[in-house]
Amino acid sequence: MKKQLVLMMVAGLMGCMFWTQGMVLAGSLDAFKNEKGTIKVAGGTAHIPVMKEAAKQIMTVNSDIQITIAGGGSGVGIKQVGEGLVDIGNSGRKPTDEEIAKYGLKPVQWAIDGVAIVINPKNIIRKLTGTQVKDIFAGKIDNWKQVGGEDKAVSLYTRDEASGTREVFWEKGLGKGEISSKANVVVSNGAMKTAVAQDPYAIGYVSVGHLDQSVAPVSFDGVEPTLESVKSGKYPIARGLYSMTKGEPKGLAKKLIGFLFSPEGQKIISEKGFIPVQ
Amino acid sequence: MKMLDRVVIAFSWISAVIIVGAVCAIFGHIILNGAGTIKLSLIFGDVAPLDALLLKRQVLNGLFPAVIGTLLLILISVMWAVPLGLGTGIYLAEYAGAISKKIFNLFFDILAGIPSIVIGLFGFALAIFLHKNVSNNIGPCLLISSMALAFLVLPYIIRTTQVALEELPREMRLTALALGATRLQNIRHVLLPRALSGITTGVILAIGRCAEDTAVILLTGVVAMAGIPHSLMGSYEALPFYIYYISSQYTSPEELLTGYGASLILLVLCIGLFSAAFLIQKRLTYITLYRA
Amino acid sequence: MSPTREYLYEKGFLFSAILSGSIVFLIFAFMLIMGLPLFKGNQVVALIKNDWLPARGVYGIYPMVVATLAISFFSLALAFPLSLGCAFFSGSIAPPRIARVFRKMIQIMTGIPTVIYGFVGIFLLVPIVREFTTSTSGLCIFSASLMLGIMISPTLILFFTDSLEAVPKSFLDAADALGATRVQKLLYVMVPQAKKGILAGLILALGRALGDTMVALMIAGNAARVPESLFDAARTLTAHIALVIAADYESFEFRSIFACGLVLYAFIALMVLGVRWIGMTNKR
Repeated sequence: MKKQLVLMMVAGLMGCMFWTQGMVLAGSLDAFKNEKGTIKVAGGTAHIPVMKEAAKQIMTVNSDIQITIAGGGSGVGIKQVGEGLVDIGNSGRKPTDEEIAKYGLKPVQWAIDGVAIVINPKNIIRKLTGTQVKDIFAGKIDNWKQVGGEDKAVSLYTRDEASGTREVFWEKGLGKGEISSKANVVVSNGAMKTAVAQDPYAIGYVSVGHLDQSVAPVSFDGVEPTLESVKSGKYPIARGLYSMTKGEPKGLAKKLIGFLFSPEGQKIISEKGFIPVQ
Repeated sequence: MKMLDRVVIAFSWISAVIIVGAVCAIFGHIILNGAGTIKLSLIFGDVAPLDALLLKRQVLNGLFPAVIGTLLLILISVMWAVPLGLGTGIYLAEYAGAISKKIFNLFFDILAGIPSIVIGLFGFALAIFLHKNVSNNIGPCLLISSMALAFLVLPYIIRTTQVALEELPREMRLTALALGATRLQNIRHVLLPRALSGITTGVILAIGRCAEDTAVILLTGVVAMAGIPHSLMGSYEALPFYIYYISSQYTSPEELLTGYGASLILLVLCIGLFSAAFLIQKRLTYITLYRA
Repeated sequence: MSPTREYLYEKGFLFSAILSGSIVFLIFAFMLIMGLPLFKGNQVVALIKNDWLPARGVYGIYPMVVATLAISFFSLALAFPLSLGCAFFSGSIAPPRIARVFRKMIQIMTGIPTVIYGFVGIFLLVPIVREFTTSTSGLCIFSASLMLGIMISPTLILFFTDSLEAVPKSFLDAADALGATRVQKLLYVMVPQAKKGILAGLILALGRALGDTMVALMIAGNAARVPESLFDAARTLTAHIALVIAADYESFEFRSIFACGLVLYAFIALMVLGVRWIGMTNKR
């Protein structure tokens, strides 16, 4: 344990030596060579594909580094990094001022993402108005035929309380409207995608970066949820992807965050379906 | 009365067929979907097996970290649980008075019945407590998980040890004592070796339980991706969690198939362990798992 | 071996026993302490009675209690006749060779991990339930109870079989001497004698069903609402703990899971005492 502490301090010193003004250390994979230690990451599930890929590349270059990644949702990320249980917390919503003050968080935004409303590809519906979405999720519209689909009951899916995706969807998609308590609760973006892909009568919401052929996105008030519409601001249900540390980032955590802003990191972010941000 | 006879006979045959059908469905589903994935690459990804085993390179696309995580969990939990359980079992069988035996047995029956998620919750609360009051380095981790798992399986070891010792014939106990041995010598040289098969059964059941448990580790430190844990304070992966995670969050049909492969491995492991326990000591296994 | 060493070992054994025993208390104590803020004043009643509406600041665990009881009892209702029938089968009705094979199969079945039941349930059972019942998504009490019922059956079957076989041979011989058929012997001699064992087995199985997490988490839908029908999605106390573990450590939301833990602990303690009481009135 003591050895790790010393190594972390050395890494921290080295990190300081490379510190560039204002921004977190600009790193590429070379920065991780000859390092040793652990980085614990937890929080938003939308971030997981990017984190996993970054971790894979880093751990391939240097197998003495261990990067552990857990999900749990944005709420978990903020709480756990604030309590000191993990080194980096991910969040799909901006931490509130209280949270920042309470824990001394330093959030950093590295991508823009949207939240798309998705249904099963077998469902013929392709567009919904804002009011329809509100009513469906409130439980007022409970049969697909009421919006032009089959005569089948709507299968509602929503996220757990800790989810940043849910928070953003609730605020910007539903205008803080109610989500029916009848809805099935799933615990991550991945789980939402799987659930909707398996259930022909499902409707849910998922990070735009997670979209693939297994689910069909629905246009919201006439706007399709694509990278372009999110970037241009036309698609209203958008949010940033944040990573934060308690206090200033140090050592390996700093390098990891820095890596996200490096060319390799930005490449990973766009490959996974998000819009990289400097 | 012949009508009643026929009804009951039909009823029992139908029940048996339903159960057999269910078992076949479960096994069949897993085996049919998972058998095709059983190859070295399932476990080691694209890393050569030898490199992975010698820890020269990290396996990032395979089940190896999850397998190692599960093995480490088993090892460390058993390390906690066996000495404690053995000591307790010996005390109950050899030294305890009738009343304290009854009280302790009540406690351990309750412990045996506590849902695993509640034990996980306890482990989590313990981790947070230690984190706030002892050291910032402690959090949900391999150490806490193995301690919580040890609490989970403690009743198994206590019961098998106690019953195995109690079932030894009276004559056996008295002989050594009559020859002048002390109580401890009696236990160590005569009773324990005879009760060994029973105790082993308990340990095997404990191992099986640690391997399959998901709820406890869910709350005490298992994560989606961690590689091989570098220290006891680190996070880790585990097979049952991998299965749970994949089932709800698979990103492609190939990934789902790895879930089936993992299920197959876990299934074989647990069934193997439980069957071994039954083979060694059928009655003890019953008593441990279902005692009223 | 010196007397002091003997003494030390004996005290060592006692110490382990006390340590193990105290774990039972520690668990209860931790639950209580962590949940304490919830229990101030008359909030206890509100806690148990209210619905779960965190958006409105209401943190009642009532829907979860209902769901837990519903799933447990329904799965028991499914498992009981099934297991009894199988116990009849292996204990009496089946030809000896088939009975032996059947019993081996049931023993093997006890080794199946719970997460596998959940896994198979999602991919095999849920789509079927979705198509053929009023459940919109297939994730509901019915599916979860079905899977859970199958899961607790092997234990029940083995328990019942043991109870039936524990009937003294003299009773069976007497029945045979009087010319009873297999079924008559079963129903009028073996079952009445095994009644206490059967009841104890049921209570233990109920305990196991109450404490299950993975099957409910993966298959029951996790909607935090009092279920109105078997085909509604619902959230058990156990699944609630797993889902809410994420929240802020100081909030009422988080504390609610310790309330769930206490309720579960209380249920189990009652079961164990109940089984003991049955055992004690079983003086032969």
